[in-house]
Amino acid sequence: MEEVELDFQMPSNSVVPQSGSSDSSSQENLGTRTLHFNCPNVEQSFERNRISTGKYNFATFIPLFLFEQFRKAFNIFFLIICILQQIPGVSPTGRYTTIVPLTFILLVAAIKEIIEDYKRHRADDAVNNRLIEVFREGKFTELRWTQVIVGDIVKVVNGNFFPGDLVLLSSSEPQAMCYIETSNLDGETNLKIRQGIPATTGLQCSEDLNSLSGSIECEGPNRHLYDFCGNIKLGGDSGRSIPLGPDQMLLRGAMLRNTQWIYGVVVYTGHESKLMKNAKRAPLKMSNLDRTTNMQIWFLMVILIIISLASAIGSEVWKKMPVDRWYIDDIGSGARGFFMELLTFIILYNNLVPISLLVTLELVKAIQAVFINCDLDMYYEPSDTPAMARTSNLNEELGQVKYIFSDKTGTLTQNYMEFKKCSIAGVKYGETANQNGDTFSDEDFLERVHNPKQVDQDDYVRKFITIMSVCHTVVPEHVKKLNSNSISNRDETDFDLDMDNIQYQSSSPDEAAIVKAARKMGFIFSIRTPTHVTVKALGKDESYEILNVLEFSSTRKRMSVIVRCPDGVIRLLCKGADNVICERLSPDSHFQLETENHLREFAREGLRTLCFAQTELDEDAYMEWNKGAFYKASTAVIDREGQLEAAYDLVEKNLDLIGASAIEDKLQDGVPETIATLAKADIKIWVLTGDKQETAINIAYSCKLITEKMSLIILNETTLDGVRETIMEALNEIGSEFLRQENDVALIVSGMTLKHALCADVQSSFLDLALSCKAVVCCRVSPIQKAEIVDLVKHRCKAITLAIGDGANDVSMIQAAHVGVGISGHEGLQAANSSDYSIAQFAYLQKLLLVHGAWNYNRLAKCILFSFYKNICLYLIELWFAFFNGFSGQILFDRWTISFYNMFFTSLPPLSLGLFERTCSSENMMKYPQLYSISQRAVKYNAGVFWKMFANSTVHSLLLFFLPTFLLWQDVAFSDGKVGGYLFLGNFVYTYVVITVCLKAGMESATWTIFTHLSVWGSIIVWFAFFGAYSHFFPVIPIGAEMLGQADNVLASPLFWFGLILLPPAVLFRDLLWKVFRRRFRKSVVEEVQEMEMEHIDPTNTIMQAAKQSLSEKAHLLKNMFGVSGRSVAGDIPLEISEEHRPISSSVRSLQDPNLGFAFSQEEGGVVSQSDLIRQYNSERSKPEGN
Amino acid sequence: MSRKPENTAFKQQRIPAWHPLLTAKSVFPTFLVVSVAFIPIGVVLLVNSQNIIEIMHDYTDCTSVEDNSVLCSSVRLNQSRMEETCTCQINVSFDTSMSGDVFMYYGLTNFFQNHRRYVKSRDDNQLIGQHVTQSTVSSECLPFAYLPNGTVFAPCGAIANSLFNDSFTMIRDTTVVPFLQTGIAWPTDYSQKFNNPSPVNDLSQAFSSYIRPLFWQRNVEDLDTVTSNSGYQNEGLIVWMRAAAFSHFRKPYGRLDRSSSEFENGLSVGNYIINVSYNYPVTAFGGHKRFILSTTNWMGGKNNFLGIAYITFGCVCMCIGVLLCCLHYHARKRHVVHVDK
Repeated sequence: MEEVELDFQMPSNSVVPQSGSSDSSSQENLGTRTLHFNCPNVEQSFERNRISTGKYNFATFIPLFLFEQFRKAFNIFFLIICILQQIPGVSPTGRYTTIVPLTFILLVAAIKEIIEDYKRHRADDAVNNRLIEVFREGKFTELRWTQVIVGDIVKVVNGNFFPGDLVLLSSSEPQAMCYIETSNLDGETNLKIRQGIPATTGLQCSEDLNSLSGSIECEGPNRHLYDFCGNIKLGGDSGRSIPLGPDQMLLRGAMLRNTQWIYGVVVYTGHESKLMKNAKRAPLKMSNLDRTTNMQIWFLMVILIIISLASAIGSEVWKKMPVDRWYIDDIGSGARGFFMELLTFIILYNNLVPISLLVTLELVKAIQAVFINCDLDMYYEPSDTPAMARTSNLNEELGQVKYIFSDKTGTLTQNYMEFKKCSIAGVKYGETANQNGDTFSDEDFLERVHNPKQVDQDDYVRKFITIMSVCHTVVPEHVKKLNSNSISNRDETDFDLDMDNIQYQSSSPDEAAIVKAARKMGFIFSIRTPTHVTVKALGKDESYEILNVLEFSSTRKRMSVIVRCPDGVIRLLCKGADNVICERLSPDSHFQLETENHLREFAREGLRTLCFAQTELDEDAYMEWNKGAFYKASTAVIDREGQLEAAYDLVEKNLDLIGASAIEDKLQDGVPETIATLAKADIKIWVLTGDKQETAINIAYSCKLITEKMSLIILNETTLDGVRETIMEALNEIGSEFLRQENDVALIVSGMTLKHALCADVQSSFLDLALSCKAVVCCRVSPIQKAEIVDLVKHRCKAITLAIGDGANDVSMIQAAHVGVGISGHEGLQAANSSDYSIAQFAYLQKLLLVHGAWNYNRLAKCILFSFYKNICLYLIELWFAFFNGFSGQILFDRWTISFYNMFFTSLPPLSLGLFERTCSSENMMKYPQLYSISQRAVKYNAGVFWKMFANSTVHSLLLFFLPTFLLWQDVAFSDGKVGGYLFLGNFVYTYVVITVCLKAGMESATWTIFTHLSVWGSIIVWFAFFGAYSHFFPVIPIGAEMLGQADNVLASPLFWFGLILLPPAVLFRDLLWKVFRRRFRKSVVEEVQEMEMEHIDPTNTIMQAAKQSLSEKAHLLKNMFGVSGRSVAGDIPLEISEEHRPISSSVRSLQDPNLGFAFSQEEGGVVSQSDLIRQYNSERSKPEGN
Repeated sequence: MSRKPENTAFKQQRIPAWHPLLTAKSVFPTFLVVSVAFIPIGVVLLVNSQNIIEIMHDYTDCTSVEDNSVLCSSVRLNQSRMEETCTCQINVSFDTSMSGDVFMYYGLTNFFQNHRRYVKSRDDNQLIGQHVTQSTVSSECLPFAYLPNGTVFAPCGAIANSLFNDSFTMIRDTTVVPFLQTGIAWPTDYSQKFNNPSPVNDLSQAFSSYIRPLFWQRNVEDLDTVTSNSGYQNEGLIVWMRAAAFSHFRKPYGRLDRSSSEFENGLSVGNYIINVSYNYPVTAFGGHKRFILSTTNWMGGKNNFLGIAYITFGCVCMCIGVLLCCLHYHARKRHVVHVDK
């Protein structure tokens, strides 16, 4: 197995058992289980095969929900206020004025939770109710997954997931082999082979199973994906125990591929399966904005305590004044009195902290998530997959991303290989036609194939195709009928049907692509028997005898077969990396130079290249080798592999170069464009892949992450000292003044190097180096390393990171990053399940970040600031009033109007700001990634902005209190000489506050949708309506006696109306003026674009001009600092930078080595070796049906 | 079933919207319009306010009519002379007649009617006419709720207990200027919030089970001779019960009865004497009492603030509007030059 796999272990400290399996986790590794075939396993009770990922059920909802809610300091605060209000005589606002809104808010939160949990339960049900054939009472019956119990024998057919962890008994393939796809578990896309033990291989039909008796004993459920220990005992207790290991294990989450069916015994079910044991609740991620908000809530609480203390002291001072206020009863004083006053003021001012903020944010974010889910631009039609926000906590974090860590396979690429071009005997083919068509086609080539003339070139072409169709380990399979069960509807890579109904099975997608290409050219590889390969060459069967298979390994970088061709000649056909092939070419081999040039061209286009070569072997020499060196090596006891390689080397020489193939690892749609756009938005993209260096670089080129202009720094050291030295060298090369700036350099790091580079002392210099490069590609990295890299950047750079991937090997990185994005579309992918957002295509990231992220950030910033603003604005008035009422804690307003302020009269404007605000149109947000920098740099919401807002709302509250105070200073408010009272003034003030606050919300809205109108004018109307109604409650409804008749009188007072016209505009005057002045004197790019949008002008020129301006400023600055001009500086210029490159000195290696194009994926060291594999297949024999 | 999202304007965030841009160009006309509208309004308001005649007299330290050397306030401070009456005289003369409605107010300063413990100390159920007992009376009234023997005060609470009880009689020459003590409370208060307990036509029986508040000299049913202005429905009481916003406030005492021909047009120029029955102690808490006579206009009492505020804001708008206007045209000119280059 590959290194990647071996390294894959979930971090043990972070594994949190699922709620449903908490009991079993304690028993982990304890005890064994025994299960018997064909008799119910009653003596032990096993976990049901039902999974539940929901948070709650009916019974646990209320306690768990309340626990969750009151874990938040915010809610505890209001709960304490509620309790304080119950103390008699303390509360200035009655007993229930906090409990009612708090209950309301918890109710809203509860409804949201219920809806979300309901969805989770529905998703679980979908999995739980999948159907599976289970062997019961002598025959197979179709049952639901939930009905499967431990000990059941199940039949899984091609393309289906395993319902639990199974022990493989037998399969449709020879010797109980089967292919499984484990991309869900480890992210690897090459198929893996599992093989049942010989004793059970013969179980091929129901009758066989019926007579089966025996038992399996195995270890208890655990979460080690690559370990399994068990014994199978056949034929009753007297039978011999045969050991079972991981090679017989088929894990839940994996999928059966290229195998018609398998029989397996269920050993672990439900939450006891290894996949579920590894599943952990996604860590609760908190967005940057939320953290800032929390901080500010604490600030407000501190301010609340301070002003409460100040007021309580004021109250003491007032009480101590040497006067006899005989009209007020004896006012308690002393320590107890002071404490009570303090509580009174805390209750009085508690609403400075906006009680509705959290629930408003939750609602807003939930609906924003719906907008993400509903975005048609992020809907992928072919797989019917819309984007999906799995958490709504991070909507705005999407607008602040600075680093993207991307997986390669399945994320940047489609994991679909296609033979694109080739170079044969110095002539390139496939150049012409592939502008539009995806597949290889070349008229000239086909002409040479079908109508060969006796020229060298045609001969070479023929040889080339022969190697293509013979030198591989692909197994053909003739499918007789289309069984709807056995063919899944997903996009098959190596499972294809042509008119001959041949499917190719291969664990290497590259080989499958080559064989398929050969088939298209008319050379149909049709039959493989243990000794022969038959190719239908242009309608004529040609049979090649396979003498030896010289296996592929990543050190050899090549594979060969020795065949006896139809003409009786023994040939060695070889394909592999160009450098290893070139070393072994015979001196008189031609076209080396041309081929190398072509290879370089291919590599530059990001194609994966393989060189093809062959040589004729002398019969005697071959026999000598086969009997001598090879036999000795293949029977060696010590270091057999090494000896075999040496033996292979003996024959793989004097090769004759035929040509080279170029295979495209197809990128997903729009990947290069997306990367370019994201780069313009000043987002750095790092590719982290478990794949090989060559492949990774390849893809980096083809998706334009690395361009030809860029120099490469390749770190490929295996020792700590070596790593340190290389990093230092590279850092010197870059020069200290350009550190952590964007240089035109790409850094390629291998997993081994990374192991050392992430060590404590090298870490920071490694980070320095990585941050100085425009592109970073890490290859051969394990899932844990991926997470470590993300962690490193996350903690050391204080920047927002986003990880995107599609496989289970990306899960740790997805969970480590601030935002995790999963690529969805394939069924049940674990990465998507543990991600925060899942999208079907990498390209959708562009809209997700630039539009949704930036919009949501801006919306939430406005929403939060406004929520704070409106509360400070109203409730600080109580403080100003306290100066006039002897710090007694008297409220200026009616108690219920106060507590409904957040619920009804000002609840809509934050929602409309949070949902419908748009800074610029989505088209322009996408077109000008520069606009992203506003959210990325958190310009709109930070501590500075918060305090400015605080100051502003303090001023507003002062104005809103004192202007009406002056207005009513003379008391006489009516032409008939009547006067008002404190509540009369209070209602003036309250109305003015509501109007001012609503207008302020309108002023903050750059976009007035119908909802904005509704929220602004609607809130004002709701207040007036409530005011009118509430003034007539008493005495019918025994509340609000003080309010009786207020509306009639307030609205009848001309002073009220004159104040209404004057006050809100006067209060908002400064805000308005500032906006106008800012637009006039310090216009931002956003505002510029907004104006252009209004006038329907294309803002391109403006953006460019702005870019040029700020560039020249920057350049000027740099000139002064470094004496260098025109160098791009990372991090602080949001706008496009002109393309100027510093020449990187020659010692940093640039792309010269054509072998960089080489890439080949093949499972190595699997349970069945490649040569064994092809020896076991006989495609002429029909396969059992397994019924 | 396809999972394709619906293509609606709402879900695709394409709801048509208006994008107001706050530019100098779009804002300056508004500013100019506002200034043009506000300044005249302000002037009208100010002139109107200036036309109101208001006569105010602080009589806190007035002397007794009987003995010029005795300050009524000191009589009120002395516990032993609680029962004594003290009357003082205020002489008022004005050179312009107070035409139209004339209102008589009393003003108090440094009296914290807005204190929390004071404001809440009332029982609205009692005032609406429900009979209350020691057990049903609102606890907010404590300690002014009932006597130790359980007899409930009518009305209870600190506000009622401290009812302003000075009385004014205005005399010109020898005739008493008629002031009505009705029509000074909010109609809603009079009709809905304050009602006498049953039987409403026999107040002495209605209030028989209650006792008057400690500081009162008269029972609640004897606040006025007219039944409709007695008991809880006494407008003086109602006015008092509506707590003022600040410690400095005025409350209406009466309005000129213009039914007689003599006072049909208000108060004419001349000398007036106001006899004050000085009962209310204010010096203890450092307060002052004022006697105020005032006319009103269509928007209430004398109120210069509103007019000044309108004029000020109008002027500011004017200045800023002109400034923005200049900025706008300047910018356009500059822009044109810029493009030419």
